[in-house]
Amino acid sequence: MSRKKLLSVLLAAALGLSLLAGCGQSAAPAAAASSAKEEAAPAAAASSAKEEAAPAAEKSEAPAAEKSEAPAAEPAADVDPNKESIKVGAVRSQTGVFAMFDQTAFGPCYRMWVDKVNADGGIYVEEYGKKLPIDLIVYDDTSDMNQMTQLYQKLILEDQVDFLLPPVSTAFLSAAVPIAAQYGYLMIGAEGGSDTLKEALAKYPDFFSVLNYSVTQVPAIVDLMLEQGMKSAYIVYIQDTHGIEYSSAAEPAFKEAGIEIKEMKSVPADLADVTPIINDAMASGADAFILFTYPQITYPAIEVSKALGYNPKMFITGPGGSFESMKAACGGDEGIEGIIFEGAWNDKGSPEAAQFAKDLQEFNKDDPAFGMDWWGHIVYYASLEVLQQAIEGAGTLDNKVISQYIKDNHFNVSMGEIWFENQEIAHECFLGDLGQWQNGYPEVIDADENRTADPIVPKPDWP
Amino acid sequence: MTTVLNIIITGLIMGGIYALISMGLSLQYGVAKILNVSHGEFIMIAAMLTWVFVNRGIHPLLALVLCCPLTFIIGFLLHITIFRWLNINSGTAAAYESNAMLLCFGLYFIFSNIAMQIWGSNPVGYQFLNRSVAFAGTVTAINKIVVLIIAVAVSILFYLFLTYSRLGKSIRAASQDPVAAGMLGMNIKMIMAICFGIGAMLAGIAGTLISMYSQVDTGMGMGYTMIALIVVVLGGMGSIPGSMIGGLILGFVGSIFGYIEPSLSMVAYYLIILVLLLVKPKGLMGR
Amino acid sequence: MSKTNDRGGARIKQQIIPIVIVAVLFGLSFLTRTGSALRPSYYVVLFVSILNYIVLAVSWNIFSGPSGYISLSTAAFFGLGIYVSALLGEKLPVPLLMIVAGVISFAIAAIIGVITLRLRGVYFTIFTFGLVLLLQYFILWYEVKFNNLRGRTVMAVPYNTVFICLLILAGIVLIAAYYVKRSRFGMALTGIGECEDAAAHIGVNTTMVKVIAFAATSFAIGASGAAKATTMIYIDPPIAFNVMMSFMPVLMVIFGGAGSFLGPIIGAIVFTLLQEQLTTKWPKWYMIIFGVVMIISIVFLPKGLVGSFGEMVGKRKKLLLIAATAVFMVVGFIFTKLLAAAGTNIGGLVFPLLFGIIGFVIFANVLKRGKEAA
Repeated sequence: MSRKKLLSVLLAAALGLSLLAGCGQSAAPAAAASSAKEEAAPAAAASSAKEEAAPAAEKSEAPAAEKSEAPAAEPAADVDPNKESIKVGAVRSQTGVFAMFDQTAFGPCYRMWVDKVNADGGIYVEEYGKKLPIDLIVYDDTSDMNQMTQLYQKLILEDQVDFLLPPVSTAFLSAAVPIAAQYGYLMIGAEGGSDTLKEALAKYPDFFSVLNYSVTQVPAIVDLMLEQGMKSAYIVYIQDTHGIEYSSAAEPAFKEAGIEIKEMKSVPADLADVTPIINDAMASGADAFILFTYPQITYPAIEVSKALGYNPKMFITGPGGSFESMKAACGGDEGIEGIIFEGAWNDKGSPEAAQFAKDLQEFNKDDPAFGMDWWGHIVYYASLEVLQQAIEGAGTLDNKVISQYIKDNHFNVSMGEIWFENQEIAHECFLGDLGQWQNGYPEVIDADENRTADPIVPKPDWP
Repeated sequence: MTTVLNIIITGLIMGGIYALISMGLSLQYGVAKILNVSHGEFIMIAAMLTWVFVNRGIHPLLALVLCCPLTFIIGFLLHITIFRWLNINSGTAAAYESNAMLLCFGLYFIFSNIAMQIWGSNPVGYQFLNRSVAFAGTVTAINKIVVLIIAVAVSILFYLFLTYSRLGKSIRAASQDPVAAGMLGMNIKMIMAICFGIGAMLAGIAGTLISMYSQVDTGMGMGYTMIALIVVVLGGMGSIPGSMIGGLILGFVGSIFGYIEPSLSMVAYYLIILVLLLVKPKGLMGR
Repeated sequence: MSKTNDRGGARIKQQIIPIVIVAVLFGLSFLTRTGSALRPSYYVVLFVSILNYIVLAVSWNIFSGPSGYISLSTAAFFGLGIYVSALLGEKLPVPLLMIVAGVISFAIAAIIGVITLRLRGVYFTIFTFGLVLLLQYFILWYEVKFNNLRGRTVMAVPYNTVFICLLILAGIVLIAAYYVKRSRFGMALTGIGECEDAAAHIGVNTTMVKVIAFAATSFAIGASGAAKATTMIYIDPPIAFNVMMSFMPVLMVIFGGAGSFLGPIIGAIVFTLLQEQLTTKWPKWYMIIFGVVMIISIVFLPKGLVGSFGEMVGKRKKLLLIAATAVFMVVGFIFTKLLAAAGTNIGGLVFPLLFGIIGFVIFANVLKRGKEAA
């Protein structure tokens, strides 16, 4: 018995040592090709603490250096006259808790974009002297982070795609951006605009954020409230990056504007019943009721408010409030009359926007789950148009060059003329920050020149 | 005072629904020995079907009547097919119990994803009695009161059915001692299948009721399964009165935390069952 | 095959298997040569997943397989490991992170083991499951309330490093699983599974055995969580304490064969490959097909692949079963090629895997029937 135990311990030790030795040898020759071999060899040896903790900045720069030399090192990135398509890869949550976003938010946009580009024969890339159609590869991460990171690695390492599209949700984006940066890919975000991503913007020069978020929307809310003479607010926020960020932006902004915050309530994503919150808000007598929450809470909150007859002067909702599909969930046009939402755009914004709204509805007319999103759709689509124009303009598939091109140029897209400032779409390019449902139409009601209709305040009675 | 009254009303309504959901699960485990982790999917299916029916112009209360047999049949058919095969193939009772739980997990995958393929994942809803009544300074939605009344009525009917009807007595006999009940000439297999069907039907009723006062979506099932599991453990596996009491307790806890700190309600639920299990390892009314 | 090993001439065999394990894992370590630290080969990425699941499944099987206590706490300790990496990732190298996560998991598991002693059967299962959600919701509440954040970034570490660390961990867990099964300790666990009271009567300290087994396997689970976290980059409580992580190892073990040595390994490999293939080749349908495969395998192979294989009497039948499975897999492969030739390029390993499973299920049942008839 004791001999056996001894043997097992010895074996385990032998295993450990031999593996360490094995990988120590193995990393060196493979890394020789890499321009960053000093970092690679010791890191793979799995031994020293310092190399492990190499600052992230160094990491993001190292692959950048590698990529710029890439044409010489990797045949895949070299100009290959036989290249027949541009490979675009995406990992999207087609099942699981985030499936809703791929079905209704960025999903319809990238599908239509690929369809349109390919119907047109492809994107003209000067390097290749011809139009290259898009070969779209979409994997399903089942709303699971483990799968998501693994499948992006597969897209990059095995499929060797030319471009990456972003994953669903801010959390996944936060993980996908470093992966893309590590291999020198540019990434333009979609769902998920957030203050926390600002750090990522500074750290990863090839990451672009497109959606407008708390930084511009909270001031817009404040402006609107001041304009309409609102004195107090009751804020509910979801325990998510979105809710945390909006509520922490709102707190100082409201104080500064002299708007009293009656209560700030955090709620879990799977709140069982919103009645207590509505009762509490009703008792507080606040002028504005603000929900920085997702549809699973926003929609029941609307219904319960209706049932209890809670009708604040302003009823402001977060993501989901801009969805056309909210009508089906909350009693049609009259059921959502006067609800204010984060967003916003509509087909009055510009002729291009009107055309885009028509096209998108036409493209998705067979999908019963589809509904327009009057916050994100045009921005998501614009980001794809930017990518397309940047590829054409730069005349290459080199992500670094294209990334620089995006930073340096203005683009004419569905949103009108847009450009990037600090890797974000400049604020003046947006068609609006706040919208309001008026007779079933999403009017933009910002307190500035984007306004397409005067806000209806106080909110009309529930039907 | 108003707040206290509010807490009580909200607690009663939540508790009523929770009790209804958990009675089905408790029955399925108590008699058929299946810990049905796909229980919430039956709720979801009934809720989505109700929405479909209502969109076709059928009154929600009529939809309730339609969904009952539908979910019963789904549950019954599942039991006389795959669960029976599983029972034949698993050697021991313990192996059957754990395999059945995993099988239900497979059912959860299939049901929730097929539903998502069919109906998408947007929340959907319809309007039903969306007004309120005032009572001593509180306001309560009428649809919730209707839901509470139906839930209580169904619970009482079900309890009477178990206590007094012939089939109900057989079910109780089968849950206490299946072997002896079998010797007395009862068709145990059929009783188990019926119980599984009834469990699914109770979930279906709950699903329809939930759709009357809240939006529903194809991803809602798992959350309710978790609640039902907590309630059933709280009340004691297989005990129908235990489920009712457990459901009410959880409803009140949820309601209280809804007013104080909503984000801690789940923590509170789990803390309660963890502590209770340490004190009473078989739940409140467990045998 | 494992059951006959305990006797007589199996001594040499007993020492051969650990050597084989070491040799195979050592061979695998050369995979890191196919890519650099900055650009690893995809096989390394895939094997990180497979090894991770092997560690989870085998650890789960050491305790729950023989003892019959179905624990769903895997995700709790896995999540703790992830949070250790998130909090200490910039200060410690991966092996140390794994040890810290392991020790913390061990300590918490030991405490939980002691207080849940009275729970049996499904109550134990639900208690452990509740633990996962309790931790998830509590940490979420705490992070939002006191740190005003939801998620955290985990220091990224090259895949090759994570791969080697998990390889070593898997080696340790596998060798431990092999010897535990053959030790008095393993017999005590089996005794608990068969009849706990009887085991206590013949002098087994059931409390001690259960707690030690539960805590020790949690060590490995926590350690693998710490390693895997470094490839996840961004985590928040629902991601870290993902309940799927509790169920997947159980499914893998049941599919492969609970209580056996090879079962969990085969289950982990087949399920991870199937998952990877389905999510990439047939997105959207992955969950449904996965559910169907699960149900088929549970209903028709309640003892798992290895268990059903062990039921075959005689070498002839065993060979026949293997041959049949292989033929089905080849047919699946040819089918994929035919489809590709016809212009629909879906598949990869999907059809070989699915066909192989179906072939095994059919023949295992047919051959067993034959035995009963005889």
